[in-house]
Amino acid sequence: MSPVIRLEQVSAAKQDRPVLGAVTLAFDSGAAYSILGPSGAGKTTLLRLLNRLEEPSSGALWYRDTPYREISPITLRRRVAMVFQVPVVFPGTVRDNLMTPLRLQKRASADHGVLVGRLDLAGLDGGFLDRDASELSVGEKQRVCIARALMNDPEVLLLDEPSAALDPATTRRLIESIVDLNRRLGLTVIMVTHQPEQARVFGAQVILLSGGAVAEQASAAEFFVAPATAEGRRYLNLSEASS
Amino acid sequence: MSGELLDPSWLQLALAAGLVIVAIGVSATRQLGLERELTIAMVRTFIQLLAIGYILSFVFTNAIPGVIIAILFLMLGVAAWTVASRQRRPTNTLRLLVLAALTTSCGLTLVLATQLILRIHPWYNPYYLIPLMGMVIGNSLNSATLAVERLDSDLRAGRDRVEALLALGATSREAAALPVRSAMRAAMLPIINSMMVVGLVSLPGMMTGQILGGSSPSVAIKYQILIMYMIAFSTALTAFILTTWRARSYFTAAHQLRQGLLAG
Repeated sequence: MSPVIRLEQVSAAKQDRPVLGAVTLAFDSGAAYSILGPSGAGKTTLLRLLNRLEEPSSGALWYRDTPYREISPITLRRRVAMVFQVPVVFPGTVRDNLMTPLRLQKRASADHGVLVGRLDLAGLDGGFLDRDASELSVGEKQRVCIARALMNDPEVLLLDEPSAALDPATTRRLIESIVDLNRRLGLTVIMVTHQPEQARVFGAQVILLSGGAVAEQASAAEFFVAPATAEGRRYLNLSEASS
Repeated sequence: MSGELLDPSWLQLALAAGLVIVAIGVSATRQLGLERELTIAMVRTFIQLLAIGYILSFVFTNAIPGVIIAILFLMLGVAAWTVASRQRRPTNTLRLLVLAALTTSCGLTLVLATQLILRIHPWYNPYYLIPLMGMVIGNSLNSATLAVERLDSDLRAGRDRVEALLALGATSREAAALPVRSAMRAAMLPIINSMMVVGLVSLPGMMTGQILGGSSPSVAIKYQILIMYMIAFSTALTAFILTTWRARSYFTAAHQLRQGLLAG
């Protein structure tokens, strides 16, 4: 497997406050990752850098073998899609929402089957197409956002705490849908979460961020049984104590 | 009864000041605490208008193109400063941006109206240029204020939506299209409203002035029609230029929302 995205010595700052410090990472094509860490560890900033909503203050990112700076941000964002923590649906029906990425690509129409197919991948049935998007539950809205992101046929899907606003049962079903996307489509999935339980269910590679640096990277199986670093152990202990 | 224009004497104006003194009395008896402000406002009105009266009579009797152009630019400068200061965080960039937008739109409006439509003679005739520019700037200033205010608040409130669009591969222009549209509408609605009711509910200031000044109402309304059309043009142009440039300043070349501008 070759890396689809690579970061080398990437640092980022928010209003002159350092958020990420010299992070070097590689994300393999078709793999699934959960990014764990306490709040303020730089998880969201990392995702925003991957979608190029922000620029690193130093260091560089590569998509395949091309530096981010040499790809049009528009093209990059269609290949590396992002779903936000709080779902944002646009006014209109679910169909209107799914059509938005196509309109942005100046494609006027889409096959009904394609729309239903994307909804199905995100765990919603075709009956949702003509529902008013603003009247859906938060969980359903989040699935609409995922289906909408899939309309661009991305290679990578970035998810920023997609279940932050959901109850545990809905969360579990959403995570299962995301695991499915990775397995069925071979989509590279990078999911930020601050709940270790989600990363455990996700069963992917775990990247633990702490204070803006990568503290530990391991498979979920290893990380949750025997974390290799002191930070990993401390993080798991703290999370258990608080849950 | 037309033609005879009364020139109010200073004594007559002093009598008129009595009207404000009554208002001050009302404020005092009802404890509004506005006595001081009213007094200052009364004196300021007197001094400011007296000064502008002297300046204008000088300019009108010695019509020097350079001086007239300088006055027009001074008016634009004051207007741009006012628009920028009404925003939550006035910056020099914003002041320059508003100045450029107002200069382009009001300047173009004035040139078109006086040189192409009215064909005034000489081309710098201050009797036309200064009052017409005053009307156009006054209205464009309001439209500019509304446009910037609305765009800023919509972009702040709709920030998640703008970024959701960017993340789907929208250009910054596409992502800001909705806030830009609503800012332009907000800026243009007041002039549309006043065009709808002009003459029915309101008698515009310039028309009142002309009639008092001895013009026949049939001429005064023609100027008023011209002015309303000029204002419609200049407010649309101001709103268009300002929202386009201002929206652009919210984004980087890589279609990213600038974080600093949105904070606070």
